[in-house]
Amino acid sequence: MTRRKWRSYLVTAVTFVLAMIWLMPLVFSVLMSLRPATEPINVGNIFFGSTLTLDNYHNAWQVAPWGRHYLNSLIFVFGTLIVQLVTITMAGYAFARLRFWGRDVLLGVLLLQLMIPTGVLLVQNFATVRTLGLFDTHWALMMPYWGSAFGVLMMRQTFRAVPFELEEAARSDGANWWQLIRHVYVPLSLPAYISFAIVSISSHWNEFLWPFIVTRSEDVRPLTAGLNKLFFTTEVGAQYGQLLAGTLIVIAPLVVLFVFFQRQFIESFASSGLK
Amino acid sequence: MLQRSLRMLCLLLVASLLAVTPFVQAQAQVVVDFYYPTAVDGPITQTIQEYATKFEAMHPNIKINPVYTGSYTQTRDTIRTELAAQDVIVDVAVMLATDLTSFVEEETIVPAQQFIDRMENGEAFVANFFEAFLANCRDEEGTIWSVPFQRSTPILYYNADLFRAEGVEVPRNVNELIEVAQKLHTPERAGLLMPVAGGFPIWLYQSFAAGFGQPLIEADPAKVYFNSDASLAAVEFLTKLGMPTSEGGFGVGPMGGSVWGDTPTAFTSGQAAMIYHTTGSLTNILRNATFEVGVAFLPSGLPNENGEGYAAPTGGGNLYIFAATEPEVQEAAWLWVEFLASDEVQSDWGARTGYVAATRGAWEIDPLKTLVEEKPQYLVARNQLAHAYKEFDSYRSIDVQLIINNALSSIISGNVPLSQAKATLDAAQAQIDSLLAEYR
Repeated sequence: MTRRKWRSYLVTAVTFVLAMIWLMPLVFSVLMSLRPATEPINVGNIFFGSTLTLDNYHNAWQVAPWGRHYLNSLIFVFGTLIVQLVTITMAGYAFARLRFWGRDVLLGVLLLQLMIPTGVLLVQNFATVRTLGLFDTHWALMMPYWGSAFGVLMMRQTFRAVPFELEEAARSDGANWWQLIRHVYVPLSLPAYISFAIVSISSHWNEFLWPFIVTRSEDVRPLTAGLNKLFFTTEVGAQYGQLLAGTLIVIAPLVVLFVFFQRQFIESFASSGLK
Repeated sequence: MLQRSLRMLCLLLVASLLAVTPFVQAQAQVVVDFYYPTAVDGPITQTIQEYATKFEAMHPNIKINPVYTGSYTQTRDTIRTELAAQDVIVDVAVMLATDLTSFVEEETIVPAQQFIDRMENGEAFVANFFEAFLANCRDEEGTIWSVPFQRSTPILYYNADLFRAEGVEVPRNVNELIEVAQKLHTPERAGLLMPVAGGFPIWLYQSFAAGFGQPLIEADPAKVYFNSDASLAAVEFLTKLGMPTSEGGFGVGPMGGSVWGDTPTAFTSGQAAMIYHTTGSLTNILRNATFEVGVAFLPSGLPNENGEGYAAPTGGGNLYIFAATEPEVQEAAWLWVEFLASDEVQSDWGARTGYVAATRGAWEIDPLKTLVEEKPQYLVARNQLAHAYKEFDSYRSIDVQLIINNALSSIISGNVPLSQAKATLDAAQAQIDSLLAEYR
């Protein structure tokens, strides 16, 4: 009895310490962003400096058109996700349940795509976007991500786990292929969809290089382009307060999302094997 | 009823066509894509946009499209992507002054000289720039390829209140620098912070190499002097700054030097009596310091007969016009370059950002004139240009810089003992020479 009690205390203590370590960057960001810029962390009061100030937020806010960047990020992230959901469902179903010539070879090719680092394709994708006349538009941001090898694979595995009897039953009730997907496969795979959506949203929210290469105007660029401006004060040295204020402005929605979807977040990363 | 609205519609159509016509004419204008990086803080984007608006008012047939392209490295990467895809969008860009040799060699840019030669007052235009900045605009033959825009140079910042209280004089050479630093060094306060820790010690190192008698680079971009006696003395000096006196060092700062980004705040919060840093930090330092800030020439060299040993490199970015741009757009781009290099813009840009205004005339007019009267510290950076050297730029510049930075870091950090410093420099020099052999 007492041993079990002790063990539970120990587990709680370890969890607490881990949670503190996990929280530290966030707490540090908040503290630094509220500190006067004139006071480095080792001067005066270790937590708040001599006074609390919103100056860093004010300065960070001036550097970029954040409202516009927010809108662009939302368009980019959801414009990508919605199309992805359609394509991965279709392709996932085809690979999971349909028999057609060359299916396994095609799947192999798809798997290969997972191994190509995106940087290699940068110049070629840039040229394609220019040829299509989509340079410096929202379309250019989203298009390369509309097909997702990772998503297709994930849905294939999920759909294969759906009992085939259910499909047979639906067929005998007269369901065609899209009714099958709509009424059988999709409802049973919701957790997988949520996982995929979370991974997709958080990775595109953080995406920097591709948007930066295919866009030139502030009217199209996402949040990371604004954050970049705060980051590159290389000549004069790091303005931590301002930088962290900007970072908090950018990550705020993701943090809120995380608080609400904590469990799915962790499960999705664990089950997808991504970080 | 229907007829009436139809007639109304026709009328509207004609009216709108008439109204649009002047705009159609105005749209037959030249668009110049201008890429610029940022390296200092503040609302740079708005400032650039302001200049563009002003310029467009002067030249209604030209439209400037300013594009923020990240850091200097990201700007170079973006432009390299366009070059690789053989689809060059950029017409004119701000890039590092030290990108010159590579871009000339690859024939990516056109010489500014061809535009200057056609100017009525071309010679006066060139003579208006400080010579130290022009050194990184010319090739070996003296052709000017780029125009200075956001230029800087490192200077010595010192705590003037502390100097007064302790009764010390501002150092004028390396010997005095050490003397003063040791006198002001306490466990809580570094005598001198030298930001050479991390990946980029080459900038400040150059001031010492030149100060000890042999600059790292001269006019010929195929010849690098990294294993000279002066270079060895410079590296030893930088290493000893952080070494405890018990081990034969000077013991006036942290071993391995300080971190670039943290040095200004360490200074303004009283944790250092002196620092080496860029003029770009002057505005922030003056704003944040609670004591009187003194600024002086870099005392990086051995004393001459007057007891002075000043030497500094220059830094920052120039304006480049690209070869792939259509000739008529190049002409428009040149007008924009001329505008950005004008006394009016340089004066404003210098006062707002802390960059050293690159033209002599810029210092004679407002806002810089008034600023200098209020804060004479700004003048020191300008006057130091008389002691400034060309910033390092060779063939294969990025590769060579990497070799040099690695060698410097390994010695300054203490990973390689000073006894092996000479061998390390020799090995790096051999690597550099083999890289540059084909250019001789």
